[in-house]
Order: sequence, then structure tokens, then C-alpha cells
Amino acid sequence: MARTPGQDPHPQDPDAGDLQRIRQVLIRAVERHCPPGLAALREDLVQMALLRLLERPGGEGTAARGASYLWRVAYTVVIDEIRRARRQQRQAQQLGGGDGGTPGPEARSEILDCLDGLQDRRRAAVTLHLQGFRTGEVATTLGWTEKQAENLVYRGLADLRTCLGGEET
Amino acid sequence: MTEPADPLERRFRAALPETDGTGCPPAEDFWAAASGDLPSERLRSLVDHGAHCAQCAEAWRILADVRHEAGAPTPAAEARPAPLPLFRRRPPMRALVPLGLSALVAAALVVSLRPPPPRPAPVERGNGGGSLRAESPDLQPVRRAVLRWSEVPGARTYDVTVLTPDLVVVHQAKGLSTRELKLPDAVSERAAGTGLLWNVDAVLPDGRTVASPTFELRLRSGD
Repeated sequence: MARTPGQDPHPQDPDAGDLQRIRQVLIRAVERHCPPGLAALREDLVQMALLRLLERPGGEGTAARGASYLWRVAYTVVIDEIRRARRQQRQAQQLGGGDGGTPGPEARSEILDCLDGLQDRRRAAVTLHLQGFRTGEVATTLGWTEKQAENLVYRGLADLRTCLGGEET
Repeated sequence: MTEPADPLERRFRAALPETDGTGCPPAEDFWAAASGDLPSERLRSLVDHGAHCAQCAEAWRILADVRHEAGAPTPAAEARPAPLPLFRRRPPMRALVPLGLSALVAAALVVSLRPPPPRPAPVERGNGGGSLRAESPDLQPVRRAVLRWSEVPGARTYDVTVLTPDLVVVHQAKGLSTRELKLPDAVSERAAGTGLLWNVDAVLPDGRTVASPTFELRLRSGD
């Protein structure tokens, strides 16, 4: 049976607190990072994702697998929900004859071209940094020491700024 | 959608093209990547894809937020006995045997079948802190902060970059013939209390550079 997280948490339920916290974090993240059209649906998106999580086979046993499992599954189902919502929006735009409002490529390619031109390791480090990863997380993701990650992020950013003509410094 | 404070980050995000999502990797891959559980080839391709796809960049950014929050302890979590680590650094021992065998086979295949590399592998020098060292104290007064570094034999000039802890470049000096740089007051005053990061590139006569590690500088006011 599916539960509705956040609406009826049982005090004795060991994972109710986890679910409530995950829900709040995901709602904030969707609000921060998704375009307004999707961010407006944040409560629904996250609620749907958590319902799907609990409806999965064995979903009621998620608590026994630990908080890390809950975070992982919650993250993946919310990304799936966002993608599904985007597909629906795209289809609605196509039916309505809209073009989705994508900016022209000439205005957007310079920084991506510069990023492409960086050395492999610097490019990977800078890309993750620009996505919001801290240096410790860049290090974990790419299998480096934190010091290496720090150095590669700094130097990659310096290369990127140089390529862009110093206008960002 | 919240705009990031860093203009470079804003520009990067604005430049990412929307795709139709058909070639996007599954969401599980992002989590596996952040846990260090993805093979390197797939990891690189995932990271590069995120640099060319607004939707996957969004997935990366949400992941970064979730990781920050998930890593922060809560009173409830602290009260529980031995929670599972969120990001496993090492695989369990039973996974090491097949992994080791696979690695051996893969290494043998790579050695025997690998074509010559198309270009020399990039060299990151100075990561280990070998030849270029900071010679100035890492705690200095705000108005008299001077950066000094060790000599690199044969270096013609030195380029210095000064950054904030969140990696915004606040000062650059290029072509220095001496091995020290007095920080401008405006830069050090802005950084009082938070500190700065800095690094040096020694430029050799043939144009090659020797890069330093990144050093920290803390600034105390009131001197």
C-alpha cells in the first residue's frame, strides 16, 4: 500500500523522518534548478516521485536498506519524473506550434567551445564545478585526491577565463 | 530557478542547449558517478554529456544539492546506530576479486591492442608540491600581505593568480621577474576574515610552464 510521505508520518515509523527530509530537499532542489514551468510543479513532481518509490516492489522495505538507499532511489525517481514532465511539455509545445524558446546557438556556443578546448582532466573538473560540485565531491566522483581536484578546478577555470578573453575576471 | 552568484556559472548554464532527451543517460548513472562507482570511460562521457545538455546539467545540479544535504547530519540520524555511509569509497571485498581479474584482462588487452595515442597525454605538474613552494607565511596582516615562492631554475617570469575560496579570480599578475607579489590593499581588504587561494606558473624560456599547487592565505585584520 502506498503511503503519502509528509502527510501522515507515524512517529514510530523509522523512515518517516527520512522521507520528510528527502521530500523537503528535493522540493528545494527542483525549485532552485528547474526552469519556472517545472519549478511550479515541484510539490507534485516530488510527491509523485516518492509515491513511485514506495510503490516499487519491496518499497515498504526501504527503511531496512538504510538512508543512503532512500536518497539514491528518491533522486533517481525525481529525475525520471522531471524528464517525464519535460516530455509532456515538449509534446504540448509541438502540438501548439511553439519552438520551446531555445536561445540561438551563436549566443551560447563560446563558453562551451572554450570548455571543450580544455585538457581532459581540467574540463571534467571544471564541468562538475560549474554544476555545483564542491572540490571534495569532484575528487570523489573523478577518483582523485581532493588536492588534485582543487588544483585542476582552479587551473581549468583560469584556462576557461583566458579563453573567454578575461571578461569574467 | 535560482541564478548562481558566479557569472561564469550563470553563463555556462545559459549556454547549455535543450535536447530532446533521447540520448540522455539514466538517472542511476549520475548517482553511481557521484559515488565513484562508474567506470572511467562512462564517467567521462557522462560528465561531457552534462556540458552539452541542459537537462542533464540540471540532473547534475540537483544531485549536487542532494549530496550536500544528504551528507549533513540530522539530530535524528545522529541518534540512530551506525547509519550506512551514503557514498561508499571502496567496494566490498567480495567485489574485489572479479574486479581485479577483470582489470588484469583489460590491462592485457589494452597493452596488446592499444593504438598509439593521438597526442601526448596532458601533464599536470606541481600537483604533488614538488618544485614550486610557497615561501610566505599562510597567515599575514591584511595591509601587508606579500606572496613569495621558491625559485624554478631557468624560469624567465612568473604568473600569479589569486582566487577567493569559491574560486573567483580576484587578482592576476603576469610576467613578474621577481619571486614575490604584494597583494593590492583592495584585494586583501575584501578577503579579510575569509582568506584567499593563490598559485604560480613559472614560465620557462621555451614557453613551457611549471605549475605550483594551490596555496592558502589567511588574512588577519588589525595589524
